[in-house]
Amino acid sequence: MMRSALVDLSTHHDNRGLQPPGTDGDYGFNVWRNTFPAEELPPPGSTVTVAGVPFAFPAPAAGGDNVRCRGQRIAVPAGSYDWIYLLGAAERRTEDVVTLHYADGSTGTAHLRMSDFWPQTPDRFGEPLAFRTSAMRYPRHTHADHAPSIWQQRVPVTGPGELVAVRLPDNPGMHVFAITVVADPEARHAR
Amino acid sequence: MRVELAPITYWRHDLSHCLHTTAGVLLGFHGLDPVEVLGAAWGFYYPGDVRREEYYFPGAAESLLGGLAPYHAIRSRWHTPADADEGWRQVRAMVAGGAPVAVAADNFHLPFRPAYRDVHTNHLLAVYGFDDRTGEVLVADPVPPAFQGPIPLAAFTAARDSQNPVRHSRDLFFTANPIGNRWLELDVGAEQPAFTADFVRYVLGENLRGFTAPSDDTYRGRSGLSRFLDDVITRIADDPAAVDEAFVVLGPVLAVTGLHAEYLALAGRRFDDRRLYELGRLVDAVAHDWAALRIAVATCGTAGAAGRKSARHRAASLLAAHDRALSAMADAAR
Repeated sequence: MMRSALVDLSTHHDNRGLQPPGTDGDYGFNVWRNTFPAEELPPPGSTVTVAGVPFAFPAPAAGGDNVRCRGQRIAVPAGSYDWIYLLGAAERRTEDVVTLHYADGSTGTAHLRMSDFWPQTPDRFGEPLAFRTSAMRYPRHTHADHAPSIWQQRVPVTGPGELVAVRLPDNPGMHVFAITVVADPEARHAR
Repeated sequence: MRVELAPITYWRHDLSHCLHTTAGVLLGFHGLDPVEVLGAAWGFYYPGDVRREEYYFPGAAESLLGGLAPYHAIRSRWHTPADADEGWRQVRAMVAGGAPVAVAADNFHLPFRPAYRDVHTNHLLAVYGFDDRTGEVLVADPVPPAFQGPIPLAAFTAARDSQNPVRHSRDLFFTANPIGNRWLELDVGAEQPAFTADFVRYVLGENLRGFTAPSDDTYRGRSGLSRFLDDVITRIADDPAAVDEAFVVLGPVLAVTGLHAEYLALAGRRFDDRRLYELGRLVDAVAHDWAALRIAVATCGTAGAAGRKSARHRAASLLAAHDRALSAMADAAR
């Protein structure tokens, strides 16, 4: 039986990429200030399931609605896990290393590979599609039939022990909307 | 008179932009595989010639498309007509004569671009036909949202004749550079090198030599790449224009790196050579570092000292990945 814990990212939000209609202000997922139409995505703060994994879909916080990766240390509910699942999208596909922090002070690393959010661009790393909106917002208009994507990533937790935190890469091309840590006993027995 | 040249097919590599996509469309018309031609060269050279064009390519002002394909008999030549009428007469004559061409255009006037009636920018696309009766021009532009089909000649002309002005407080990177009705004539030689295992090995050797040979150019090869990154990231602290420069220069370097990875993967499949597959993956990792560095640089302005630190970290990561790829390339080129 899979066990999962939703991770609260709200205090790390530093980018605003989910934009309700008719709004302006400090929005801008990428360097061109494009955004996802918020009305086509799950309600803020709701729990959504993507490819069998539950996630806390972000609610706007003071800093935004997603984390532009700059080496933030994200605390997770302490526990023994097998996978870190993410909802994320990159400004051009990219890959990097996350650092896993365990309760005994030891660390490990694992690769995080993230596909491009840009419309008409397929996943590069075999990630399941989490969400694709029908349109994309620009600073002064919304362009229909121009569909950006959010993908689901998965990072293995291979070390033993209690995972307590994850340090994201210092890679500002990567954006993370949600993280869920998962214990999967069946997979564990297999290894 | 109506002309519609064929075949004109969609081609795009996901790390490329309008320069490579337009080149790919034109090469496809001439029966060439864009990955085999555009993916062969991998190097670094920046002579300080940055221009505010989406289709900028370092060091290739004279033969833009030739600069993308130095191992092939490909040349291109810019034409700079006196005005919009002459610009259309020249392009129409080339297409009527059976040759699709590339034209510079301001997206602000192109109805299918998201920037239409919003943002000015200096873009490149292919022209493959026209219809005098309906007053339309056939254009191909694989950059998302991809478009292939007719647009009004009036819109096409306005896009080519635009002054490309800055309209909003901060239109990034590719504005304030008049389009000038410029168009690009492509010359494809009758004889092209065959895509063979020997040719790929030759290409790898030449690319490696380009990275490692001593050079009088400040920003050429592996050592020049290191110097460029160090210099431009240093300048970013005091000169906002350095951010634009770095972002514009890094774009084509990212595209070329990604395309070379694709080229190596293609060669690995074609010649059943596992070393080329593995080398392709290492070069793809370099492309992923370029993607990260480009955004790190572009966001320096808002991130302050942390942004510059991030850019330095990204540059170091990129150079390490680069050296891993070059080491493997030296083995594969033997």
